[in-house]
Amino acid sequence: MLRMSISGLAERWQLFVGATLSVCLGVALVQSSLLLLISAATLDPPAGLSPAERLRFSDSAEASVALLGVTLGFSAFLAVFIISSTFAFTVAQRRRDLALLRLVGGGRRHVRRLLMGEALLLGLIGTVTGVPAGLAVMALQTRLLVGFGFVPGGFTGQWRDWILGASAGVGLGLALAGVLVAARRAARVRPLDALRDPDAGRVMTAGRWLTGLFFAAGAVALIILAPVGGPAGGQALTMNVSLCAAVALSLLAPVLVPGVARLIPAAGVTGMLARANLRDEVRRSAATAAPLIVLIGVVFGQVGASASFAAAGVAEQRRGTAADLVVETTGPGFPAVAGVASFSSETETPLRITTGRGDTADTLIQSALVVEPAAFARAHPGSGYLQALRGNAVAGGPGREGFSRGDTVTAHFAGTDHSLPVVAEVPTTIGGGAALLVPAGLLPADQLAGAPTRTFVTLAPGADPARVTAELSTVGTVTGVDDWLRADAEARTSTSDDIMLIVLGLGGLYALIGVVNAVVIAAAARGREFAAARATGLTRLQVLRAALLESSAVTMIGVFLGALAAAGTYVAVLATTSAVTGTATLDLPWTLMAVLAVVAFVVTGLTSLLTSWSATRVAPVSLLGAWE
Amino acid sequence: MTTTSTPTTTAVALRGVSRGYGRGATAVRAVDDVDVEFRRGTWTAVMGPSGSGKSTLLHLAAGLERADSGRVLLGDTDITAASDNELTALRRTRIGFVFQSFNLIGSLSAEQNVALPLRLARRRPGRAQVRQALDDVGLGDRARHRPRELSGGQQQRVAIARAMVTAPEVLFADEPTGALDSTAARTVLDLLRAMADRGQSIVMVTHDPAAAARADGVLFLRDGRLVDHLAGASAREVADRLVALER
Ligand SMILES: Nc1ncnc2c1ncn2[C@@H]1O[C@H](COP(=O)(O)OP(=O)(O)OP(=O)(O)O)[C@@H](O)[C@H]1O
Ligand SMILES: [Mg+2]
Repeated sequence: MLRMSISGLAERWQLFVGATLSVCLGVALVQSSLLLLISAATLDPPAGLSPAERLRFSDSAEASVALLGVTLGFSAFLAVFIISSTFAFTVAQRRRDLALLRLVGGGRRHVRRLLMGEALLLGLIGTVTGVPAGLAVMALQTRLLVGFGFVPGGFTGQWRDWILGASAGVGLGLALAGVLVAARRAARVRPLDALRDPDAGRVMTAGRWLTGLFFAAGAVALIILAPVGGPAGGQALTMNVSLCAAVALSLLAPVLVPGVARLIPAAGVTGMLARANLRDEVRRSAATAAPLIVLIGVVFGQVGASASFAAAGVAEQRRGTAADLVVETTGPGFPAVAGVASFSSETETPLRITTGRGDTADTLIQSALVVEPAAFARAHPGSGYLQALRGNAVAGGPGREGFSRGDTVTAHFAGTDHSLPVVAEVPTTIGGGAALLVPAGLLPADQLAGAPTRTFVTLAPGADPARVTAELSTVGTVTGVDDWLRADAEARTSTSDDIMLIVLGLGGLYALIGVVNAVVIAAAARGREFAAARATGLTRLQVLRAALLESSAVTMIGVFLGALAAAGTYVAVLATTSAVTGTATLDLPWTLMAVLAVVAFVVTGLTSLLTSWSATRVAPVSLLGAWE
Repeated sequence: MTTTSTPTTTAVALRGVSRGYGRGATAVRAVDDVDVEFRRGTWTAVMGPSGSGKSTLLHLAAGLERADSGRVLLGDTDITAASDNELTALRRTRIGFVFQSFNLIGSLSAEQNVALPLRLARRRPGRAQVRQALDDVGLGDRARHRPRELSGGQQQRVAIARAMVTAPEVLFADEPTGALDSTAARTVLDLLRAMADRGQSIVMVTHDPAAAARADGVLFLRDGRLVDHLAGASAREVADRLVALER
């Protein structure tokens, strides 16, 4: 049986190269993200840091752990989806081979064993190549992380021996899981299918309907929950909508393919052929579109959501700032300068905070802002009543999570724990910010020395801005509030772009390779069909044109359904921004999205041209005569 | 699958077998209430106009297709309601197939194709046994060739060797010479004749009166019904009967 497997591999090499590649890259991506996550989570602060510096170090380490957690989540999602759908597709493409095996006396068990054996072999090759490839991916991801400043300069991903086991689990496990369901279905192939054009069988099985609708319901549930999830929770839920919706739509795609096929102009013989092929081979069309649906859905969804939240944050920051100048200094303290009507000095410092109690207690390093309550309320319209902020009474900041007014939080500073009653709160914001507002004098001076301080300055009527600016320049960097807001917006956008690149860059490339794979696999088994078309009198050019038309239609289906999945995320974005900031915001990076759509068309078009070109290279008779 | 105890000289029997396809306006009765017995050790040809149900009859007799009604017996075994596993076992041991398109596995050599049914039956394919099967069809020297390196006639002979290597009770052939030129066809028919003379039961669907004339008897089908039969007829007589049917 293994011999037969191996010679089968040699014959249908495109299918198997595709399947192995999907495992190799999936393993590499998951392994690299996992190792980086573990390395970031166990990162020790360098020796000789002051307690405040240590706290800041841990704070940024926690942020990078969160970022890598999301990256790992995405990588795992893509690996599961791409590997299992690629393997299932290779099985579906071999119905005829398998029917023949059944005809000469192969039992269902044989078919299953053959397919599982192949999956094991390909999973193994994929894993063995994926582990070293993972090291290369890790080097690349590390460079991105360091380059964007998400981790300290000397950061490296550390190898763990147990990762071999994890990678083998990912590679072999996903390959086998992908084939398991497909093999059960393939084993039911009728021996007679070897004699005729195999009937593709019912594509939309009850299980497929059920799973598709399950994920669709999940997407709807996330859309409903996102606006009530608070700023941070809402954003996380929103990001997951397009994932669920993309899986749902790729499962339900076979229902939608014939409708799109009808859109192709049936004029001319190539149009007619492409249209008929799409409709006749619903499974193939849907399987080719699947990775594209996920690629487009996830990327459109994520970049759209991320840009929108950044824009909402910028708008919110604008509304919440009333000042003329912003001065950036270190440490508390601000000089009295003539011409300044009022100023709000805000010093930011990380603080170890415990919220909740007993089982629900949660200790995190969060950021606290040392403020003068009245001045803060003046510089930030809409902050509400903060006068009760004195002594050890604190307020919930715009980025708080897990507590609200009336609760008591425990903060660790000056060597002991302090119970701090939360007596007030400002509205939470989509852009986040400090978790706590604390009155001046609560935190020890040595913790605040060197901490970044931002002072919002309002000029007295008639004061000369140039003179005040000149005078303040001796203590820190002075910026006009409009310039400062613009710079802040740019920084937010650029951070959100950097995050997207780290989370989605390599994953998106992987999904794109998955798309190419699917196109190649779809064309690999079509030599005979192309030969028949040419024997009927179609020129090679006409065959290529029909194949190109067909692949463009499949790409159109993929891009359309992917965009539909992303639209789910956009609905959640609108609901969440409206609930949190009062203004529904949607800001889509059209250029990026258009470029990706064009890339998808170009890549699938070129791939399908190349594959059908090579499939039609031999004279048609040689394929029609023998069993291919 | 039940076995009756009375010994029989029947290789395959169909009793009141019907099989239809489609429903409503597109419904066809491909095989309509057919009663027929194929005797052991004889070669029977099945003829009839295109679409008359010949292939369907063959598939029913071989357990590749299930009857809507009636019973199908392979020797003493009633296979009408046999499970998939039972039918698979039959294909491995008691039934051989040859089809118009040769249905060899392109990635395997002639030798490996022939050995396949034995491997599937978990019998260690003896090298000699496989060689013998290939020698029997005159292809002992082409054992290592891939199907695409063989002519159509040679491929069909490999397919026959593959069907015969398990020494099946019945060999089913659907237009085995349909894709071959007359010389290659004659080689294949000579082969079948020799096998029949050694006591092999063969059921063969064909369009070619010359091929049918090599068989021991000819059955005629029209619109899914058995309408006639001839024994020991010449190609001429078979052709005349066929023409009469198609009128
Ligand atoms: N799988 C199927 N689905 C629907 N109809 C079928 C199927 N197989 C056969 N038929 C129909 O059953 C009838 C008999 O078909 P069958 O293939 O047995 O004819 P045949 O005598 O072998 O014809 P030919 O000589 O052309 O091969 C035909 O009308 C055919 O259309
Ligand atoms: Mg037929």
